[in-house]
Amino acid sequence: MIPRPYFESPIVMTTVRLVAPFALTYGIFVTLHGAGSPGGGFQGGVVITSVVIMIAFAFGVGPTLDWTDERVVAGLFGGGVLAFGAVTLITVPFGGSLLRVDALPIPTKYAIEAVEVFIGAIVAGVVTSLFFLLSEGGEEE
Amino acid sequence: MTLALELALVGFVLSTAAATALLRDLLASIVVFAAFSLGVSIIWVILQAPDVALTEAAVGAGVMSVLLLVTVAKTARSPDDAPLVSVNPKALAVVLVLVLVLVTTLPALPPVGDATAPALQETNEGGTTPYGYYIGNAYDETGVENAVTAVLVFYRGFDTFGEAVVVFSAVVGALILFGGGMRRETE
Amino acid sequence: MTGIAESLLTQYYHVVFVLLLGIGVYTMIDAKNLVKKIIGLNVFQVSVFLFLVSSGYLEGAEPAIVKDGGGPYVNPLPHVLILTAIVVGVSLTALALALVVRVYQEYGTLDEEHLQEVMSDD
Repeated sequence: MIPRPYFESPIVMTTVRLVAPFALTYGIFVTLHGAGSPGGGFQGGVVITSVVIMIAFAFGVGPTLDWTDERVVAGLFGGGVLAFGAVTLITVPFGGSLLRVDALPIPTKYAIEAVEVFIGAIVAGVVTSLFFLLSEGGEEE
Repeated sequence: MTLALELALVGFVLSTAAATALLRDLLASIVVFAAFSLGVSIIWVILQAPDVALTEAAVGAGVMSVLLLVTVAKTARSPDDAPLVSVNPKALAVVLVLVLVLVTTLPALPPVGDATAPALQETNEGGTTPYGYYIGNAYDETGVENAVTAVLVFYRGFDTFGEAVVVFSAVVGALILFGGGMRRETE
Repeated sequence: MTGIAESLLTQYYHVVFVLLLGIGVYTMIDAKNLVKKIIGLNVFQVSVFLFLVSSGYLEGAEPAIVKDGGGPYVNPLPHVLILTAIVVGVSLTALALALVVRVYQEYGTLDEEHLQEVMSDD
């Protein structure tokens, strides 16, 4: 395996420190505003993943993996799938069939936004773990 | 004016795709692939699909290129002298046959943007088409203005649940391949 | 023959779809490196997305944000299919790249012909 030198570049580190909070805010904004303007869960999830990748570029993959704990990332996508399954099943006792969120007592718009947040969590967790697995997984050479 | 812009964009997309196929160095191929994704996401904006454009820009030019770069960093890229790959005539013949067969079916398709296309009719003999129903009733039944979100979560929510499970199983597969953890196992 | 040529000039998105499909299939067949085959698979997928989204486009229409009294809207159904397909495509590519990394760790090479020799020796 070819050696992978990690350059500590002050330009990249400073730029990432400045840009990362705004990009994270934009990702959450796009996720939550999926109802009234273009956006939604998929887009926001991928933008949040690119923030984590940007931080991994600047500070190295190992320190980034220590900062975002691998259990948090696994909990994001595992919990997201379970929450989506719970929303699917919870409409049945209220009188609708599976995933008919208009049978719930809350307005339909909030149920749809909640599902978008779960989708965003799932997509962010999955793509982040795939990135960490590709760059750090496997046996030591 | 817009037609010239669209044709220029289409030419850019085709030339970057051809460069991706013909460059020998893998790193150059990946960089040109990122430019190809950027051109395609601008095409999505011209075709009035902003959700798809956001996703394609974030995925194609961002995450996908990074994943490819990480893979190339972990494996070898064989350095060679010639910058371009020599074209294989047998593969080119197979591809030309496929392209010619598909081109002969193109005149049967309606032109892009034609208002008489069957996909863009609001009603037909069977009643209201899905397109007419979604556009007409998305705001009344869900309170959501973005028709794409309404269709994705409310009208076709089960497909989205299936997609979430497919993506989850991709991560489970990758975890099994790498021995169950995200960290490098040190001996 | 002139009928085909005329309709090709007005349907340039369909021509782009067929050409990109050809480029994607050529890369998948011809490339020796496994990672390049995966890049060809992605080009092929993007061409199919282009065909589906262009089938929902209406000339002079607005994006599908439904307001009262707005103009004609594009068909939102292909957009939904393509959104799901793009995300599934990225996780499929990531899983394929994970397989490629494991193949490299096991056999030490990513060249298609060397791999066939090495694997038939096992």
